[in-house]
Amino acid sequence: MLGEFEYLIVTSAAGLGDKAYGAAIREAIKAATGRNCSIGALYTTIERLEAKGLLTSWMGEATPERGGRSKRMIRVTGEGIRAAKQFYDSVTRISRGAAWAID
Amino acid sequence: MGDRLSGNQPIPGGTPIAAWAWVEVASRMLGRDEREAVLGDLIESGEGAWRAMIAVLGLVLRREAEVWKIWRPWVAAFGLSVPCSFLLMGASISASRALQNIFGSSAEPTANPWLSAIPQVLLLIGWSWTGGFVVGSLSRRTLWISAVSCLLPCIFCLTRFRIESLSPLCLWLFLPPTVWGVRKGLVIGQIGRAPAILLAVAMTLLTIPTLHSHGEPWWNPPRWLCALTLTWPAWYLAANSTRNRRKSDTRHHKRWRDGEPTQ
Repeated sequence: MLGEFEYLIVTSAAGLGDKAYGAAIREAIKAATGRNCSIGALYTTIERLEAKGLLTSWMGEATPERGGRSKRMIRVTGEGIRAAKQFYDSVTRISRGAAWAID
Repeated sequence: MGDRLSGNQPIPGGTPIAAWAWVEVASRMLGRDEREAVLGDLIESGEGAWRAMIAVLGLVLRREAEVWKIWRPWVAAFGLSVPCSFLLMGASISASRALQNIFGSSAEPTANPWLSAIPQVLLLIGWSWTGGFVVGSLSRRTLWISAVSCLLPCIFCLTRFRIESLSPLCLWLFLPPTVWGVRKGLVIGQIGRAPAILLAVAMTLLTIPTLHSHGEPWWNPPRWLCALTLTWPAWYLAANSTRNRRKSDTRHHKRWRDGEPTQ
């Protein structure tokens, strides 16, 4: 099963679709959780998820706003979607009846 | 890389180019693609040089720490390099003395110096080469730690060397075959099953006479432990080559069974 941070990365990458890459995922995680996500944590987790077959990555195009540097583009695999759904279902199930859960 | 900074490419507002250049230098510890992606992300996010440096070093540290999550670098650095360097320095002294007997500069000449010197020199080369090979093949990324783990005992012993009849450099007689073994280990990674087994058997046969010296009982635990420490890399190579051969046979058989072409 995915960990919390892994779930955040997979879900934000899935939400970003074709525009999923490091900086965009960091931004999405910060917007959703209010927490800064370190580059080190992001890239080591991406590599771990890739090794598990939940993500694929490749080097994308370079843009001027990135100082001419390429992006590492991310795509969630079918296995990644299944793992994220399993995590979501588990969290939803265990949260039923909790005082903070919204019906 | 510096060209990008001096051109029209932006770096985060207010960040001095010199400060950002240090981030670039630190990022060289990362792989090419990862460096490209990370620096691009940092520039795009508008991080200052200080925060960018922390981010890059954080990633480098995480990458280094990941390597140490498995047993291989630990065994290479602390299970092999440290104990073997001490023991091989002892073997180097013994071999140097045996060679001294041959060339007549020894204070205590023996009857048949060649008979004593050849096995000792062969053992020294064999132990050093196999130890170096295993260190090189076990963990490439932490090779520098293994090298430091080997060199620190060498320097420690060199500063305490008190044998007048021998040059202190005799302590390091084991280093050339070790370096040769490390290079081979890095390049080829493993040796064939037959040569590996032959090497392990030959080294064990050469080691057996060293387990006993005149006036001592056969069972001498410290002596056996030293011999075991120096000989296990040869048996590790033999075991590893046998295991790899078995894996390769299984794959070959599976392909043959599935009707795929085999080489």
